[in-house]
Amino acid sequence: MAISLLNPKAEVARAAQALAINISAAKGIQDVMKSNLGPKGTVKMLVSGAGDIKITKDGNVLLHEMQIQHPTASLIARASTAQDDMTGDGTTSTVLLIGELLKQADIYVAEGLHPRILTEGFDKAREKALEVLEKIKIPVEINKETLTDVCSTSLRTKVHPKLADVLTDVCVDAILSIKQDDKPVDLFMVELMEMQHKTETDTQLVKGLVLDHGTRHPDMPKSLKNCYILTCNVSMEYEKSEVNSGFFYKTAEEREKLVSAEREFIVQRVQKVINLKKQLCDGTDKTFVVINQKGIDPMSLDMLAKEGIMALRRAKRRNMERLALACGGVAMNSLDDLQESSLGYAGHVYEHVLGENKYTFVEDCRHPQSVTILMKGPNKHTLQQIKDAVRDGLRAVNNTIQDKCLIPGAGAFEVTANKELLAFKDTIKGKARLGVAAYAEALLVIPKTLAVNSGYDAQDTIVKLQEQSRLSAEPIGLDLASGEAINPKDRGIFDNYLVKKQIINSCSIIASNLLLVDEIMRAGMSSLKG
Amino acid sequence: METKGILTLQFGHYSNCIGTHWWNIQEAGFEYNSSDPSEINHDVLYREGLTEKNQVTYTPRLLLVDLKGSLRTLSERGDLYEPLPDPCKEKSRVEWQPGHVEVQSTSQYEKNQFHKDLEDPEKAEQVAKMTYDFDKGVQVWSDFLYARFHPRTVNIVREYEHCNENTPFDAFPLGTSLWRTPAFEEDFADKIRNYVEECDHFQGFHMLSDSFTAFGGLASGCLEHLRDEYDRKSILVFPVIPSHFPTTNDCTTAQSVINDSVRTVNLALSFNQFATHSSMFVPLSTSTRSWRQAGPGRNFQYIDYDAISPYNTSAILATALETLTMKHRLRASSNFCLSDLAADLTLHGRKAVAASLRLPFAMRTGETLLDNLDQWQGPLTVAITPNCEIGNARMMQHVCIRGIPTTRLKKPVEKAGSQRELPAYKCCTVQEMFQMYLSFVTDATASHVTTVNKPINVRAPFPRIFDAKIGANGDLLPEGSSRYDNTAVEKIATVSGLHNCSEIGDMLESLHTETRRIRIPRLHQFTNEGGGLERDDFEECLDNLFALRENYEDNYVI
Repeated sequence: MAISLLNPKAEVARAAQALAINISAAKGIQDVMKSNLGPKGTVKMLVSGAGDIKITKDGNVLLHEMQIQHPTASLIARASTAQDDMTGDGTTSTVLLIGELLKQADIYVAEGLHPRILTEGFDKAREKALEVLEKIKIPVEINKETLTDVCSTSLRTKVHPKLADVLTDVCVDAILSIKQDDKPVDLFMVELMEMQHKTETDTQLVKGLVLDHGTRHPDMPKSLKNCYILTCNVSMEYEKSEVNSGFFYKTAEEREKLVSAEREFIVQRVQKVINLKKQLCDGTDKTFVVINQKGIDPMSLDMLAKEGIMALRRAKRRNMERLALACGGVAMNSLDDLQESSLGYAGHVYEHVLGENKYTFVEDCRHPQSVTILMKGPNKHTLQQIKDAVRDGLRAVNNTIQDKCLIPGAGAFEVTANKELLAFKDTIKGKARLGVAAYAEALLVIPKTLAVNSGYDAQDTIVKLQEQSRLSAEPIGLDLASGEAINPKDRGIFDNYLVKKQIINSCSIIASNLLLVDEIMRAGMSSLKG
Repeated sequence: METKGILTLQFGHYSNCIGTHWWNIQEAGFEYNSSDPSEINHDVLYREGLTEKNQVTYTPRLLLVDLKGSLRTLSERGDLYEPLPDPCKEKSRVEWQPGHVEVQSTSQYEKNQFHKDLEDPEKAEQVAKMTYDFDKGVQVWSDFLYARFHPRTVNIVREYEHCNENTPFDAFPLGTSLWRTPAFEEDFADKIRNYVEECDHFQGFHMLSDSFTAFGGLASGCLEHLRDEYDRKSILVFPVIPSHFPTTNDCTTAQSVINDSVRTVNLALSFNQFATHSSMFVPLSTSTRSWRQAGPGRNFQYIDYDAISPYNTSAILATALETLTMKHRLRASSNFCLSDLAADLTLHGRKAVAASLRLPFAMRTGETLLDNLDQWQGPLTVAITPNCEIGNARMMQHVCIRGIPTTRLKKPVEKAGSQRELPAYKCCTVQEMFQMYLSFVTDATASHVTTVNKPINVRAPFPRIFDAKIGANGDLLPEGSSRYDNTAVEKIATVSGLHNCSEIGDMLESLHTETRRIRIPRLHQFTNEGGGLERDDFEECLDNLFALRENYEDNYVI
């Protein structure tokens, strides 16, 4: 403190230095991410020190894999991955926009404009941009066609078009099958199952459930048709009660006696299931499947196998809920009042074995309200890539259902907002208008980068788009195949409203916060090095 | 015969060091061509698997967690099930516009000589007899890993980096909130389920956790999940603490004081969780004190180890773990399981249990156990639980002896001479003799003894910490002679015990006192971001520790 009183320059230098650090970090992370934006961006293959491979184009995945040392850069990375957590898309855009906002601000700050005034302008611009967003959003009917458009726009920026088309179909079908009228969709009711097998385009939707385990008894049926499904959370394995001492007091015979008494209790439980099976299935062509969240020990399995019952143990907790939705029936916590009405139904239940992994398919359900996306790929890193893409695809579809509207893609929003903001700028008095101008300019980073990644000249493209935009009432976007202006609506290129809104909000706030930083401290102690 | 499987979980780098030694020791003890089955049922901790090419594999039933950048030359999925992908080939397989595929590789680490030899089919057989400079060369646990893992075993935390001061994973709440991410709550929990599902008679979990870092929080999150999902299975937790903290000399005093406080709070919070949810927990460390800074290392006779090197200290703790867990892993004790062990040792709510070790248990060539015990002065074992000096009154204890065959018990009648006068001469098994010995040296203690004939294999990559008085076969050499420098000790007898004794109360009290002194609002790691820790939670944790301590007070209960 004393030093800054004696030497007023110290304070200024520190402020400018802090800002310079933040801006350079933002630019740095922008440079790394720039090349992946859009369907023509580069795919990155990451090879670890030990030779593990990861292939991705998804900004979110990249940010998680990168080793980020710089605190500001990691702040931006976290904000962007939070964007993905909320909406499933827009990570790369967030990084680009934050970087560009700071870059534009830097020009004005260098000329002596106080960051506070800039951020005021940013805030006004943000509100205006949201207005523009409201204006150009297109209300849509929720049908297969719209959902396919938006899902495909998102997925084509993440995987190869051929695969993107397969995944788009799978994602849209999955959501449409579990969607119930006006209720919000629970994405957890879409199970994602990996199978290292065949190729990525063999990924398919199973209208039922796929479990990652199988039967554990050699005599148990491996495939059943016309099945009753009992889902339960009841232990069918003998466990010693913990009170008896292991070291002392017990002779072998005493132990045996205790074991058989406790064992009897489990036998009776299993017998209840068998009785119900006999009552319902014997003499008909129906069969019986037990799927249990708790364990089933070999003796119980043996009893069930003798009756031709297929039994699976240790099912996922969430699969209890999914099974009830896919097959009907209820998950039972006790076997005391077991009735036919508590059972579900599936047309076909069968096991598939791959090496040491077993999979059980529960298919041909009557009205499945829970489905499984079965992802296939020749190796782990391909599967991972598909999994990331499917998650994002599902979110894109779900966002559309929630928003009931879409935004024209291909940079159209950014071009339109730029036009409107430049007009808006003139209505503002004072220096805050500079902030609005900077914001308007920064937005163009999206179409510019799209153009550069596709091999076109950034300036050429922007001029073309701005000209077209002035002439047309409809939003104008960039055709990456030709480099010309198009109306994205005609090509079916749509983005999520929610994603754009989130990008505008979070970028403006983070950029403003970073601009206002005038001292960087470290772990409670100020570090002079920054 | 039914095998009662156990799943092992390792959280954190030091836990993984200990784990690595532990799996190495076990695999060194495998006998492939022996006609009589081994005493140890390896299927308890190992599982048989099948690759897609129908090759049978035998790998630890294990899940381990470590931070990004801690593996060096070890690949995450291993190469047991499929060969490592070739970057060039994979690049050409990527379907994308040519020229738009970018390869970013971190510099490839070079494998050390030990791993190179393991990969070389001609040398692989000889590895156990070779000499490697592990003391200097080891940076991370994978450097001395002999065992090979199942692809699902290694789990890497992407959010934090190993040894990176900018993204420290140092505070308990960071760990608990990490558990709540999909990577753990879903993927990791699924892996646990996969392992448990395939066991016919699953008995419980062994958990090793670096409780002085945020891994304590992660382990606690996992523990709660296990309690929830596998309610009646036993969970044996080993909080492990290294004997040296690398930051002591490497940073400013202020930072060092903060680090000390952070570690202590982590330990207190972890112990509180372990006391609530585990079946039993046994803190392990080779130093005498572990709160704040590590105290001086424990002295083991005939061992000369470097207390700073995790490679050395973890090896000592690994031999203890291998011996302590023997009882529920023996073929002969098929109806004894983890729950019995825990039930007996944690009477009266004494969930914290102390451990001790004698490494090596060395007898002179030709000497009998009877003479050795008769002449032995001082305590049988050295405590390896920090801040806890185990006294003579132990209430309940379980001791395991490895590597003393019945043939070395006593002299035959015709040569016995004065031995026959000793009351212990009537003992016919090692177990009986130890039982008797323990009843003489401890007061009011119920002892239980387990014996295993086979000694522990300590060939490379086990550190060469035994001094020259110990011969290659683990015997004490005659006075005046010593082992050649270039020969290594191959096997060793050990004794290790678990003790429920009142001194654990002292350990808990000292931890309580140390933690009480720390002003938690000053540690931003605990209060911000991770968001976890409310002041009340912290106070409650301290109260719980104090209450736990009181369980150890009643001297009159037995």
